[in-house]
Amino acid sequence: MPSLTQSNIGGPPPIDPLLPPGGSGDGGGGSPNDGSTRAASMTAIAVVMCASVMTFGAFLSAMAIRRGLNNDWHKLPLPKILWYNTVALLLSSVLLDLARRKLRQNKRHLFNPLWTAGTVLGTLFLVGQFIAWDQLAGHGFYLAGNPSSAFFFVFTWAHAAHVVGALLAVYYVEFLGLKYELGTRGRTWVAASTLFWHFLDILWLGILALFVYWA
Amino acid sequence: MKTSLTHHRTVARLYFWLSLGSVLLGLLLSLVMRFHLVYPATSVKLFHLLWPRQAQGGVMTPELYLSLLTLHGTVMVFFVLTLAPVNAFGNLMLPRQLGAEHMAFPRLNLLSFWVSLASFFLLLASVMTEDGGPLSGWTAYPPLSALGAITGPGEGLGQTLWFFSIAVFCIGALLSSINVIATVIDVRSPDMPLMKMPLAAWNWFLTAILSLLSFPVLLAAGLLILLDRLAGTSFFIPTGLLIADFKSTHTGGTPLLWQHLFWFFGHPEVYIAILPGMGIVSTVISAFSGRRIFGRRAMIFATMSIALLGLLVWGHHMFTSGLNPWSAITFSILTMAIGAPSAVKTFNWLATLWLARGNLRLTTPMLFALGFVSIFVTGGLSGLFLGQPNLDAYFHDTYFVVAHFHIIMGIAALFGIFAGTFYWFPLLFGKMLNETLGKVHFYLTFILAYATFLPMHFAGFAGNPRRYADFTSFEFLSPLMPLQKAITHSAFALAAVQLIFLFNLAWTLWRGAPAPENPWSLEPATASDPDNGETY
Ligand code: HEM
Ligand SMILES: [Cu+2]
Repeated sequence: MPSLTQSNIGGPPPIDPLLPPGGSGDGGGGSPNDGSTRAASMTAIAVVMCASVMTFGAFLSAMAIRRGLNNDWHKLPLPKILWYNTVALLLSSVLLDLARRKLRQNKRHLFNPLWTAGTVLGTLFLVGQFIAWDQLAGHGFYLAGNPSSAFFFVFTWAHAAHVVGALLAVYYVEFLGLKYELGTRGRTWVAASTLFWHFLDILWLGILALFVYWA
Repeated sequence: MKTSLTHHRTVARLYFWLSLGSVLLGLLLSLVMRFHLVYPATSVKLFHLLWPRQAQGGVMTPELYLSLLTLHGTVMVFFVLTLAPVNAFGNLMLPRQLGAEHMAFPRLNLLSFWVSLASFFLLLASVMTEDGGPLSGWTAYPPLSALGAITGPGEGLGQTLWFFSIAVFCIGALLSSINVIATVIDVRSPDMPLMKMPLAAWNWFLTAILSLLSFPVLLAAGLLILLDRLAGTSFFIPTGLLIADFKSTHTGGTPLLWQHLFWFFGHPEVYIAILPGMGIVSTVISAFSGRRIFGRRAMIFATMSIALLGLLVWGHHMFTSGLNPWSAITFSILTMAIGAPSAVKTFNWLATLWLARGNLRLTTPMLFALGFVSIFVTGGLSGLFLGQPNLDAYFHDTYFVVAHFHIIMGIAALFGIFAGTFYWFPLLFGKMLNETLGKVHFYLTFILAYATFLPMHFAGFAGNPRRYADFTSFEFLSPLMPLQKAITHSAFALAAVQLIFLFNLAWTLWRGAPAPENPWSLEPATASDPDNGETY
């Protein structure tokens, strides 16, 4: 291994060989000198997903303990709209991923419509969640009271907080896409936000299964 | 040199100052506490000026003591031991050690500092509420911490702000661990395989992984307890709780749940505090013994197993909380198992020193590194006592515990920080701290730290409980008063000695000449040492 010396320490950072070219005529690239290479961004997303898994794992173990502890646990009737929300979320994931693939296949013209449709559906999911909470509250299920409903709100709020964060990224990509500025950096955003969006699907399916079958 | 705020060295400096301010605050608080413990009825004008309501006539209320205790513990654990080792020194050195120009995400790096600073201000706000600061210590056990103002002054808004502060801190810690992990994985020079990475970088990397796995759990617990406090849920509050004539309407929760979640974070947290110090110590020992650390590979694997086991032993904080005896035994065995990799590390440091014998250079950073090894062994030994459920049944919540964690977590980690400060000061501020002052500071600190914290073990043997504001009203503690007074005097001396360091710091920054190119003038032979070749 060529040992690092005083003189080469100040040198430029290693450039990620997998860095995709700007392509498709979009401007707005980022030089690797702004630090966030694509590989690093994907690692960052993986780290964030790890952190989310730990947070939800903590909620889950709290729920397991709290449920076994007392006989005040009453199963929560789930609002029907949750199923429509689920479809919206999964579909948005498919559309965002299609958009990402088309971009990679240099079918740049297909990106904007697909991504926009995905964005709209993603937003609808969030709106749908608000309606679900509202319906639950309308039937007298609040945070306080039945522990099952308390955990439902905890899980779905935490999930929604993730969705809000992810939507900000998705909107940002939408914005770049509409301005035709999906350069290297924009494409990193595309890859990172779709990956995270898929993660939110899995998280959501897990939460739904939890409350359908167990709580 | 670009002087942008996002430069990794600038961020390192910001964290350095935040931690320095925090450690001074924590130190002053500890002096007030130590004074009150042994002279509880003495009236002090200053106390009256500082806390007109809670120290009327200059005599502190027990609640004031507890709120100072809470602030002291929180500031020390979070803002000193969590931030300085990895965020100050890791930020400074990691890119250099990995042959990179900067951290993976420079702006995120600065953002995590702002988030930590916001958390610090929230913490300060928590003690400035009308009725004082929260009382429930840095562990904030429910049910008392979950019920709100009826459990005491400062337990209302103050405790709520405290939980918000911790939640925000968790986010800052996560942001910084994203950066460290991505930097190690993706920004590392392609010429450097993982196993060739400097030991300090390994330690920062593993620390970041521990942060990543533990802070989210604290965040989740903090959010749940905030809901208990603010939204009427009962995650941690059992049915039918009666406190000071107040019957709680919460039903069905359990305080044990908090203990599990908290310590699932809390034990890894002590390794988050100490692992970077171990990395710094390895760096410094290899630099001033002029050779590679003995058994480098073993060091890396030992650190990995410490980190892994550290995630599995949280139950040793709960031996007296009513664990199933089988799980207590499991936690106990796993806890003892950490002794093995810790011994490997200690042995390798000692072997390095032994092999270098005549070539050792006792510079200030080296002295602090040697002090670290000594303190680490001392504190580790008392851990072997506390790790056994039968012994812990007696020692739990006595001064034995206070002695143990101050030595292993407080002093050892601080020695790591001091070693890093002296060794890397030329890189941090371009100047060189005075060596003579540094050595005087080290010897006095070393002696006085032992003098302050070693006798606390004896108070623990005698059953002296911790988190009591006043020992004078207990018959059985009266024979310990001379010991406690000696501890207090030693603590004041220990604090006074730190003025030498502060003077050294201020003078060097103000008047010091720029550091030479190669401030520790290492022999060229060490240039091939993976732990040091790249640092100077
Ligand atoms: C001159 C140095 C120090 C002195 C004299 C000192 C003194 C004290 C005292 C008197 C207590 C209260 C014990 C009780 O009433 O139960 C305490 C608690 C504590 N100290 Fe220190 N301390 C010092 C440095 C540190 C450092 C460097 C740390 C960093 C780990 C630290 C962390 C803590 C913690 C975590 C607690 C427990 C707080 C709680 O019970 O919630 N201290 N210290
Ligand atoms: Cu522990």
